[in-house]
Amino acid sequence: MVKKALKWTYLMLILFFLYAPIVVMIALSFNASRSSAVWTGFTFDWYKDLLGDAKIMDALKVTLSVAVIATAVSTVLGTLAAIGIHGMKKGWAGWILNVSYLPMTMPDIVTGVSIMMLFVVLKMERGYWTMVMAHIAFDTPYVLFSVLPKLKQMDPNMYEAALDLGCKPFKALTKVIVPQVTPGIVTGGLLAFTMSIDDFIISYFTGGSAVNNLSIAVYGSARRGVSPSMYALSAIMFVVILVLLLIINRRSSLENV
Amino acid sequence: MYDEMRLIELKGISKNFGDTQVLRNVDLYIRKKEFLTLLGPSGCGKTTMLRIIGGFEFPTEGKVLFEGKDITDVPPYRRRVNTVFQKYALFTHMNVFDNIAFGLKLKKMGKQEIARRVGRMLELVNMEGYEKRWADSLSGGQQQRIAIARALVNEPEVLLLDEPLGALDLKLRKNMQLELKAMQQELGITFIYVTHDQEEALTMSDTIAVMSGGRIHQIGDPKKIYDEPKNAFVADFIGESNILPGVMPEDDVVEMAGQKFPCVDEGFDKNEEVDVVVRPEDIMVVGQDVGMLAGTVESVIFKGVHYEMMILAGGYRWKVHSTAMQPVGSEVGLSIVPFNIHIMHREAVSGK
Amino acid sequence: MKRSFFAWPYVVWMIVFTVLPLLFVAYYGFTDATGALSLDNWREFFTSGDLKTLWLSVRLALECTAVCLVVGYPAAAFLAGKDMSRHKTLFVLILLPMWMNFLLRTYAMRTMLQDNGLINAFFEAIGIGRKQMLYTEGAVLLGMVYNYLPFMILPIYTCMKKMDRRVVEAAEDLGANPLQVFCKVSLPLSVPGIVSGITMVFMPAVTTFAISKLLGGGMTFLIGDMIENMFMTLKNWQYGSTISMILLVVIIASVALLRKVDPDNQGGGLW
Repeated sequence: MVKKALKWTYLMLILFFLYAPIVVMIALSFNASRSSAVWTGFTFDWYKDLLGDAKIMDALKVTLSVAVIATAVSTVLGTLAAIGIHGMKKGWAGWILNVSYLPMTMPDIVTGVSIMMLFVVLKMERGYWTMVMAHIAFDTPYVLFSVLPKLKQMDPNMYEAALDLGCKPFKALTKVIVPQVTPGIVTGGLLAFTMSIDDFIISYFTGGSAVNNLSIAVYGSARRGVSPSMYALSAIMFVVILVLLLIINRRSSLENV
Repeated sequence: MYDEMRLIELKGISKNFGDTQVLRNVDLYIRKKEFLTLLGPSGCGKTTMLRIIGGFEFPTEGKVLFEGKDITDVPPYRRRVNTVFQKYALFTHMNVFDNIAFGLKLKKMGKQEIARRVGRMLELVNMEGYEKRWADSLSGGQQQRIAIARALVNEPEVLLLDEPLGALDLKLRKNMQLELKAMQQELGITFIYVTHDQEEALTMSDTIAVMSGGRIHQIGDPKKIYDEPKNAFVADFIGESNILPGVMPEDDVVEMAGQKFPCVDEGFDKNEEVDVVVRPEDIMVVGQDVGMLAGTVESVIFKGVHYEMMILAGGYRWKVHSTAMQPVGSEVGLSIVPFNIHIMHREAVSGK
Repeated sequence: MKRSFFAWPYVVWMIVFTVLPLLFVAYYGFTDATGALSLDNWREFFTSGDLKTLWLSVRLALECTAVCLVVGYPAAAFLAGKDMSRHKTLFVLILLPMWMNFLLRTYAMRTMLQDNGLINAFFEAIGIGRKQMLYTEGAVLLGMVYNYLPFMILPIYTCMKKMDRRVVEAAEDLGANPLQVFCKVSLPLSVPGIVSGITMVFMPAVTTFAISKLLGGGMTFLIGDMIENMFMTLKNWQYGSTISMILLVVIIASVALLRKVDPDNQGGGLW
């Protein structure tokens, strides 16, 4: 019994370590003063400030829209790619998969810097759409590697059964293959979305000076000075993510995802 | 049983996978309403043959004809053929009803008509009431029936079955064999069946094609194949047999195990070397002084239906099936009725 | 059934946005400002003080990885243990911070470490007195550990969860006590997870620049900072590319090293 208590204590300590800063920030978001140590009173002022802060709000919109668009495109691209690669001969497939590992294994900074160079050389003005394109490039492999294993697990006879019963190949794809790999598509999409929402380095280099996503905005403002509206922002993000995770966890065990 | 009309013809079919030749210049025809079984060990090419008929593989050489028309290059969704796959391949993201109705919906049939046909199929396979169940919640045997129903509901001219009973336990398998046969005869559909189980083939088929090494060794009805195997491979694969080398000094006489035996086969060259087949159940154990051969009982196993005894006589270990048991070590005699001695030409490995 | 055609849009995208950019890095890394082939930049990197920066980054990354491993392994092991109830909830709770924006998390840590921040207030209250925590190497290390700890716990947990319970039971059946079971069975079987965790911590740790800027100020200058500086401020693409390539070599070398320990790559990553 003592062992179990010790294990629990250890885990609680870890959780404390992970959450303390976050909890502190949430608390401070309601603090009337700017101090990060002294509590002077309860207020919603910082939240009001946040909503009025155009820069942050814009950055938030950019983050969300880029993530949504990039996720949508990369999910389609990645799923199609997985289906295509699954039907390919070993040689070609091997090459493509190896290249696909690159964005995931290369450090973000090299990815960001190299894509930036691409845009400059191609004389493309860096901005919103260049950021989206870069996001698609690093999101898609996640979708690919989530869908491909599901394809491999699928009974190959199922596709043939559909053909046997009179389905033309494309229809067999939509009626049989896609429904079978849907869990992989969902996982991949979620992963891609997470990667995009959280991205800092690649967006920093490919977004140009005018376009900021949330991470870039936080980075910029942190260097300039502390503002409690940042705390408010953190608090809101935390609550949103918490709710999302609870919903997902209710629908399916996260461990199986 | 079956019509004389040739529904499907395979002419000169060869198939290579990379460097391996899986089918070697095979000719085969299948008649309307026939229950034909492709029988052979793993790797003999029988499943490949079936897949070529179904349209999932294309032959490297040769043609496939359906009712006289060349369908070699026609894709599976345009052939009037349906397949029951070895592992059922049910659509696990659909329920039983949708699985069976799949082909019908593609033909844009009306809802009522679909419901009627699916219901009738479920009756046929004894699975009424299972419409709403999820495909992957069923047992192996049940999935098997749904796979059959899914294929048959489309009223194909030909049904292809790829070792459909392999994963079922013995009792269930035997029941399904009879049910499948009954279904085939009731519906009047041509069945092309693939299996490695010779007993299954003997039970169900109108015609058996015994294959190995990408070739057909013998085609015929079950009784003929059993009683008159063409070569050592067929004899060994079908039923249990004693196969030993022999010589034909003249017609109706064969010399084997150091003795001359009268038999009923003719047409062999003088002193031709041959393979002799005698079924274990055809050997009579008699007193040593009255038998054609003298021998000793080496082992006895009780098999329920009979005793299986290994008897060493004339330098050969004979497998004998008998309901009369002779204990190990007894000195016995063996006799064989001439009619039950079957002579086969000895062939080169590649077979004619 | 020409399904392979479906992959082509993706392939094109990858060639343009992954292969081509890398070729650019290679190109600029090996040429000088005029475009001529040159190894000057390479020479300069190794002879000037810049090698120190690389070494600092690697050292910090190694320290971070070590701390994460030492702290995270027990957590993962306990969580995956058979008598841990509600482990799924705990698992989600550990995952949660990972999903929060990593800059905001770093920012949170910064808030706590400030001179007039909570931790210093606590120190004062118990009589230790205020300490300078921000803008030190220690702060950067702490920030790294804070950000990357879940990435170490996750793969080890997944790997241990997948472990067949019966192997442990077999070991017990054969007479092993808990410590022996751990050393001879559980630990070796968790190696793929460890390798995965190390990969997922070391690589970002070595290349980070935001954490060093936010928590280390200008004091701790890492290789990531240097690359950012080269490209954004100094516009010296050649030198920047050279450094990037050197960084890539370090990464590839460490991955190759880890491959030796887990040749079948059963770690599998996060999922």
